[in-house]
Formats: sequence, C-alpha cells, structure tokens
Amino acid sequence: MEALKQYETQLLEALQKVENETQLNDLKAQYLGKKGYIAQAMQGMKDLSPEERPAFGQAINAVKESWQTHFDSRQKALVEDVLNARLQQEWIDVSLPGRSLPRGSKHLLTQIIERIEDLFIGMGYEIKEGPEVESDLFNFEKLNLPADHPARDMQDSFYIDEHTLLRTHTSPVQVRTMLAYGGKRPVRIICPGKVYRRDDDDATHSHQFMQIEGLVVDHTTSMSDLKGTLLAVAKAMFGSERKIRLRPSYFPFTEPSVEVDVSCSHCDGQGCSVCKHTGWIEILGAGMVHDNVLKEAGYDPSVYQGFAFGLGVERIAMLAYGIEDIRHFYTNDRRFLRQFNDDQGGLSE
Amino acid sequence: MRVSWKWLNEMTPLTLEPTELAHTLLEHAQEVASVEPLCSAQGLIIGHVLTCEPHPQADKLSVTSVDVGLSSPLSIVCGAPNVARGQKVIVAPIGVTLPGGMTMEKVVLRGVPSEGMICSLEELGLEKKYHGEEGIHVLPDDAPIGGDAIAIMHLDDTVIDVELTPNRADLMSMMGMAYESAACCETPLTTPTHDVQESEPSNPFQITCDTPLCEAYYGRMMHGVVIQESPWWLKSRLIAAGIRPINNVVDITNYVMLETGQPLHAFDADRFGSQHVHVRQAQEKETFVTLDGHKRVLSARDIVITNGTHPVALGGVMGGLDSEVTAQTTALFLESARFDPVTIRKTARRLDLRSESSNRFERGVDPNRTLYALERATTLLQHYASAQVMHGVVGMDTFKAEEHRLTLRLERLNRVLGTTLSSQTVRDLLDRLRLSSTGDTELEVILPSRRLDLTTEQDLIEEVGRLYGYNRLPATLPAFSAQGGLTEKQRLYRRLKTRLNQCGFDETIHYALVSEAQSQRFDVLKDKSLIRLAHPLSSEHEVLTLSLLGPLCETLAYHTHRQMPHAAFFELGKRYGQEGEEDVLAFVAMGQREQHFNHKEAFDFYFMKGVFEDLLSFYHLKADAEPLAHESFHPHQAAQMKIGDQIVGVVGVLHPRLARAYDGDVMMVAELYLGRLNALKEPSAPYQVLTKTPTVTRDVAVIIDRNTLAQAVVDETIALALPAFMSADIIDVYEGKPLEAGERSLTLRVRFNDPAKTLETQTVDTHMEALQAHLKATFKARIRD
Repeated sequence: MEALKQYETQLLEALQKVENETQLNDLKAQYLGKKGYIAQAMQGMKDLSPEERPAFGQAINAVKESWQTHFDSRQKALVEDVLNARLQQEWIDVSLPGRSLPRGSKHLLTQIIERIEDLFIGMGYEIKEGPEVESDLFNFEKLNLPADHPARDMQDSFYIDEHTLLRTHTSPVQVRTMLAYGGKRPVRIICPGKVYRRDDDDATHSHQFMQIEGLVVDHTTSMSDLKGTLLAVAKAMFGSERKIRLRPSYFPFTEPSVEVDVSCSHCDGQGCSVCKHTGWIEILGAGMVHDNVLKEAGYDPSVYQGFAFGLGVERIAMLAYGIEDIRHFYTNDRRFLRQFNDDQGGLSE
Repeated sequence: MRVSWKWLNEMTPLTLEPTELAHTLLEHAQEVASVEPLCSAQGLIIGHVLTCEPHPQADKLSVTSVDVGLSSPLSIVCGAPNVARGQKVIVAPIGVTLPGGMTMEKVVLRGVPSEGMICSLEELGLEKKYHGEEGIHVLPDDAPIGGDAIAIMHLDDTVIDVELTPNRADLMSMMGMAYESAACCETPLTTPTHDVQESEPSNPFQITCDTPLCEAYYGRMMHGVVIQESPWWLKSRLIAAGIRPINNVVDITNYVMLETGQPLHAFDADRFGSQHVHVRQAQEKETFVTLDGHKRVLSARDIVITNGTHPVALGGVMGGLDSEVTAQTTALFLESARFDPVTIRKTARRLDLRSESSNRFERGVDPNRTLYALERATTLLQHYASAQVMHGVVGMDTFKAEEHRLTLRLERLNRVLGTTLSSQTVRDLLDRLRLSSTGDTELEVILPSRRLDLTTEQDLIEEVGRLYGYNRLPATLPAFSAQGGLTEKQRLYRRLKTRLNQCGFDETIHYALVSEAQSQRFDVLKDKSLIRLAHPLSSEHEVLTLSLLGPLCETLAYHTHRQMPHAAFFELGKRYGQEGEEDVLAFVAMGQREQHFNHKEAFDFYFMKGVFEDLLSFYHLKADAEPLAHESFHPHQAAQMKIGDQIVGVVGVLHPRLARAYDGDVMMVAELYLGRLNALKEPSAPYQVLTKTPTVTRDVAVIIDRNTLAQAVVDETIALALPAFMSADIIDVYEGKPLEAGERSLTLRVRFNDPAKTLETQTVDTHMEALQAHLKATFKARIRD
C-alpha cells in the first residue's frame, strides 16, 4: 500500500507532463492497465488471509478510483486545449464589412405615384390607366377643346398624324372611363401616367413627364369637397401643418377653375427663396368638371356634377426634395436613384 | 396686362395700397405677376441751367450752374453734348441714389467740383425702347424750379402686372380692370366720356365690305391735324402699359385701345389712295408691306383693308407702310373695327406678327365699344392733335343690340360650390360685378356685351364663387360609399417591381421617344410597326420604342462612362406599335452582383434566367427556353422564353460587338412581355395535404450528345409518367475527361412518392431501370455508373 501512495505522487507529476492523448493512454496503461500498478498490487491479495482481503480490496479500489479521476480530469483538460488551439486558428477580423445584400431602389416618381394612389384608394378611388397614343377626339375634342382652340396647336404637341398624338395629359383616361360607365355610374378615379408636350428639355421642362389626374362625378360632389380633397393631398405630400389656397384660374375642361397653392414648407409660409417670398407654392390645377365635358362623356350635367384635378409628379418631387433639374428623373444615374431607397418616399407624414 | 395705378384710380377710387389690390385680385380674379414703381428714382428735382461753359480741362465736359430753388445754384459738371443754358433739366442732387445704383456725392472732376448730376431718361430707369433719347432730358420751359421732376413727368406711378387667363378678354382694357377692381374692392366706377365736335363738310369716305370675317367697320375723317409729341401724362401711361410713345396721333389710338380694349388704326388720309374703304379677304399669295417695313405674303384667310385697289392694312393685325401716319400728316382717317377672332389668331400666328391689336381681336372685343372707342379717340385727337372732325361716322356693323339673359338657379349654385348662400347674397355679388339680376330661387341675369365669356349658368356660378372667395369655402370630403382599391394587375405590377428591387435592380424610367435604331435594336417579336412623330424635335426622340432594352443599355453605358461598372436596372413600361401598346418589363445588368472581399458574384446568364423565371412564378407560369438567334444577342448565350407557341420574353447576353458599341464588357439583358403574360396568367395551385409517406430520391447520370438540351432530358423524364413520379431536376452538369469530346454528362435527381404507401426499394429500382432504358433509347445516351 505504501508503494501505491508513492506511485500516486509520481502519477500526479507525470500527468502534468502529458501533452496529448497518446501519452495519456500510455500512462494509463502503466497505472491502470492489465499489468499496471493496480494490477500488480492486486497480486498481493492472495498472500492475505480471507479476513484481511475485503479491507485490502477496498483500499486498492479507492486508490484506483482516485487515479481514474486524475486521468479523467487530465483528459478533459487536453480536449479543451485542442479545441482552444483550433478556435485560435479560426480568428477573424470582425471589423471587416458585412456583405451588402443587393437591394434596388424604387424610382422616386414611382414612390410618389404609389403614395398618392394609396391615399386615394383609402378615400374610395380606383386607379385607371389608358393609352399614351391618343386620338384628338379624347385628348381635346371631348374635353371642351374644339378644333380651333389655341391649346391644340401642332407646335405644342407630338402629333403622329392629323388625328393622333401622344396624349398631353391623362384626361383622355377620364373621358374613356366616363364613356365606359355609360353616363350612369358615379366616377371616382385617379389616372397616373406618362404625358408628352413638345418642349425642349431643360432644367424645368421635359418633353415627357408624369401626371396624376383625379375625377369625381356624382350628384353632390362640390367645390368644397374638391378643397377638402386637395387639402388632404397637400398634407400627405408636404406635411400635416400645410394649408392650401385656391386662386381663380382658367382651364377649358373645368369651371370654376382654380390653381392650388400649398403653404411653403421651407419657411412655413413666412416667405423664402423657395416660394419666391410669397409664402405659397403652386402645386396643381383643378376645378368643377365643365358641363360640356360631362355631356360629351354621356353624363347629364343637370343631374351629375363633380371635380377634376391634375398634378405634375416631377414638380411634387422637386418641391419635396429640393431637386434642381427635372432631367435627373430620366437620366437614371444610380447615385440619384439610390438616394430615395425608401418605401415611404421620404415624404413627411 | 400692365395696369397703371393712377389711371385705374381715375376710374375707380381705391382705398387700399397697390400690393393689397394685387392680393385681392389674386384671390378673386387673376394672378398678379408683379407690383413695381413705374420709375424707381426718388428725390430728383427740376433745375434751371443758368450758365453752361466748356470745362477748362476736358473737351467733352461742360460746367454748369443750375438753379434748383436753393439759396445758391449748384455747380454741376455735365458730360451730355446737348446741355445748354436756359434749359429746364432733371437734377439728381447729393445724396440721391439713381435706379442704376449710383449715389450722388460731391466730387471734383478734372479740378472742377460737381454737386450732383443732370439726368437722362435712361438714368431714371426708363428703358431706351420707350423714348430713344440720347443725352440729358430737357423738360418744358414752364417746369417749376425745385419741383419734383418725377411727378411733373407723371412717372410717380405704380404698375401692376396682371397675368390674364385666355377667357378674360375683357381685362385687356383699363375699363375692364376698373370693373374688376370695383367688384373686388366694392368701390364706385366711372367710365371715360366722349364729346366730339363735328364740323362741315361731311365725312367723304365710303365703306364696303364683302367678307363676313369683318364684323364691324367704322371710320371718322379729320383734318388740320398737328403731329407732335404727346403730353407726359399720356406718354407715362403708355410706358406703364409697355407701349412706346410715338407721336400724339399714334399714342392716342394706343391709349384708347388700352382704355377700352378696342384696337384702333389711324391712316394718313392723304396717302390712303382713295376715299373708299373696301374690306375683303386677301388673294392667295397677295403681297403687302406692313408698317414695320416687312413684305408679307398673304393667304386667302387673311382680312385686308383696301383702298378699293390695293391693301392698306392687314385687318386687325397691322397697318401698312404706305398709309402710315408721319410727321407731315394733316388729314386722318380713323378706323375702329371688329374682326373674326380665329382668323386674326391664325394670321398673326402664321406671319409671326403678334401685336397689341391682334392679341385683343383674337380674344374677342366688346361690340358695344367699337363706336365708343372711335368717339373717345376722336375727342382726344381734338384736344391733343388739333383735329377738326368732319361731319358723320361712316361704317357698318353686324352686331344686334339685344338683351341676353341667363337663369342662375340658387340650388345649383349652392350644390356646385358646397355653400348655403342666400339669394340676396348672390344678388349682391352679381351687383358688385355690375351684372343686373332679378328673382329669388331662379335669378334672371342680364349679360353685358363687355363680358363675352359669360354664356352659361356655370359661368355665372364661377363669377359668384370667385367673388365670394374660394378660400371661404368649407373643406369637406365627397360623401362616398365606394370601396377603392388596386386591380389584380396593378397589385401584381407593384409586386414585380418590389421583387426586382429585392434582386438588386434599381428601377428606372426612360423617355419613350427614342431614335429609330434604338427602338428596333431589341425588337425580337417584330410584330408591330413603328410609330413615328410627324414633327420630332430631334432624331434622338423621333419614334416610340419597341423595346425597353435600348434605353436601358444606354443607361448601362452611362454608368460605364462614369466608373460605375457594376449595375443592374429595370423598367416597367410599354412597347408601342401601330398595332397598340403592350406592357413590358425589362431588366439589365453588368459587372458583379456582389463585390464583398469574401464573396464575389458576377451577373451571369443563369442569374438573369433565374430572375426571369421567378417573375414568371408570380403568374404561376413556367416557360421553355429556346436558343435565340438575333443580331443583338450572343449567338450561343441567349434564349427566347416560350409558353406553348407564344414568346413571352427573352433572356441573354448582349452580342460582344454591341456591348463594345456601348463601351461595355459583358452586358446581360432580359425582357418580359407582360401584355402576353397577363392573358396567360394561371391561378395559384390549390392547397395540398402534406404526404405522410417518405419520398425516395434517386440520382442518375446520363451521358448525352453535347448539343442535346438539358430541358429535353427533363421533359422526356416527365413525359414518361412513371408511377409515383414526383419531380426531376438537373443537379450537375459535367464535360471533360473521361468523357469523349462532344459528350456531356447530366445528373438527374428523380423523386418518387406514393401518398398511399411507402415505396419499396425494388419498385423504385424498376422505375429507374425503365427511365434509364428510355433515356438511352431516346438520346442514344450512356448511363454513368
């Protein structure tokens, strides 16, 4: 037994020197193996009397268990060392950039159109679209712009032949919708889309641009309803603090006709360079649908009435973001496009 | 219309400031572009040149002493050659700042002190186009020394520039502006009067007219006329209106035109060539020299005033050079006429000859002012041109003075405006507009000839509404019970766009008008003929595009040129042909999709095809890819995507030659013909209960001819319709050793499942053997072990 005690001291020293599992297993054989120290000590059992044997056996077993514990803990430590060494190898620089998941941006004009569409859908409107190559019948004639009207000059529009042109506004969609409804159903629509004017392109003119027009026709919709509706648009696009102002104007397809100004959001109506020191910025034209337009579209003006409005999407975008050149919208420079990578359109709530 | 504040106040005394009037007009009538002083100079005084001697040190300067009413005269050095002793002049004394920004200081000019400046009209801020004067301005001898020089010239006025909408022809006159201002400001109104003193003999002129395009023609004959400069009160009003003063006769015709809106024309009666005015339509190609000296070639739609043999004026547009009033004129024939507005507009447009006169005629003038304006101008010519007026007005007029009435229903007015105005309120508003009305719930309104724009009840509702004030209307919302929403197609388009954003594509919007080459470059379908503009602005924008890929590739090139070699774009728009417009969705890419240091991924054909197929899945559709032969595409890396017999899109790599033309390297393009897809759209598959039995997966490697399309192998596998067959997918493709050249190995992963029972290995083995045998036979294939 004394010898075993001595071996234990040696074992503890040897275990400290073990570097890997092979050495550990060799050492284990030496101590706990079939010809190991424990096995050798057990040989002494046969020299003892039957009375002494149980106590002897128990003592040896206790030593064996103690050694086993030493081996187990050493083995655990070895595994841990190996893992730690591997993890050390797996060091990465966490400051390096993460992968940029490619996300494209929605065109700013699309964002603004969708925002206005959603606003009107919420108010019970439908969205109607129509052809861009139009007949003068729908683009002019049925909108109270008869053949000799100055606005129909060949110089101002892109004509394809005598009676066909690229639409100059989305109003023909309104005419088409009213005709399709057969003069019976109420109309509540907005019509977004591309329109064309025969202008040379510069910072403020574009031969192609986006328009949104709205039309309501029923029995009671009034000029006051127009005012409330446009106020909702102004607030949605430029902020809930905004006010609007209606000025008398003239359009062939509406009467009364108004130009609508929104109070300047840059100076809160105090006057600044953006609003040319007037406190107001013109954003759209509107009015009550002209009797002749209703008649041409099959609606009886003594029973039906309503309003129409039209706004330029680029103009709204330029005002909301301070964009200085309308050509940016059609150049599609991604440094421009990506600035508006935001589903909310970045506009004020 | 540029409105003189003082002139306006003569007709209606306004109690507010010019800027306040501008604001009132903006709210109730018309937009005001600006409110500015007619002459911004202040503090200028009238001086009397007592002495004027040459400057001892400078040839071109004079030394003057000028009495300005102070205890001692001012010493002023003057550079104008026309300065002379005894003149009454405009003096800018020390401390005054001129409109040009120069502030007077005491200076010494070549040794002589100067205490101010003697001014020219230009130095007062009057543009040369209004006076044409060189040198200092000389005032009349009776100008009071020390008096306000600006006031004596009647330049102490304010100009309100009102922007007129085309319907308000009546506002192209001071009388019209006075009616409007009086209505807006509730002020009294007085209109100018006339008092013609006639004398014998009678007006010898004879008027004949044989065109309905001339609606009225009146003339007065006068003699003894003295041509001279107009008085400053008259000149200043013309300048305020933007018209250059010429001489008293021309100025008076212009003045009365501004006052009444009725254009007038004065002929030199001695140079008229006859005493017969004959109005007719011009002959085709007839020529005529207008008073600006230009020879005009006329058309049969133009109206000419002739002396019975040849034209003397282009009716309503411009007079002739030969009968123009000159400094020598002593006899006048004064014309006041009306012409067909559309004819005047077309003539003025065609000849590019817009005048104050044509601008008024083309909008329509008040038929009750034709004669009135003639008499008003004659009255002024008596006073300011010593005219002796011959007895009688000659002329013709088609206008029938009858009363026009309209009914304005109170109920409709309030229904349209959304108001509850009483009939009294409405009548009061109409009164302010000088529109007389009677009645209660149905108002009878008499329409005056000065307001030719008022013809319908709706016109009257607008009048009442704007005068009441749109800003006093309540802000309400229409009473809808309707449910709004996007259509299925509109929703789908939004989802397609969002999906492409998620795939890394930026949305673009391009011009639909492109060059012919660009329009056709990617037209694979060739099913539409080009739409060409009749009058394009440039060859870059002459036709509508047949594909969105042309403009998109230009945008890729734009980014290449700006050191942005990695980019991906899409556009959802239209292709246009004479056969109609079709929605299309195109997307393009170049360079790397990802450029992370740890993960680089180039855009390639299969990425584009994957996006294409993903977009198709929104329609619950699958398309077959067939090799595409088209000059714009890589001959071996492009596909047309077909559903049945219909081509629904293309995917491919740009032909390297074309990519080089765009200064690009490898450019990837794809286009979906949404119009066709919308018609093919399938409903989504019904819900399927998950199978409880295990799925068996087997792979088989088939060695086939390199030119056999993989899809054919998959198609054959599916077509075999093996029992419990689920799906077949290509999971690996291999070429090279140990395969022969011209051979290709495809690994096909086949899945089986029987929802009713667990498949036995032997059963599946049998199926796979059948499949292998079939593929061997069909494609002369070998099976790799």
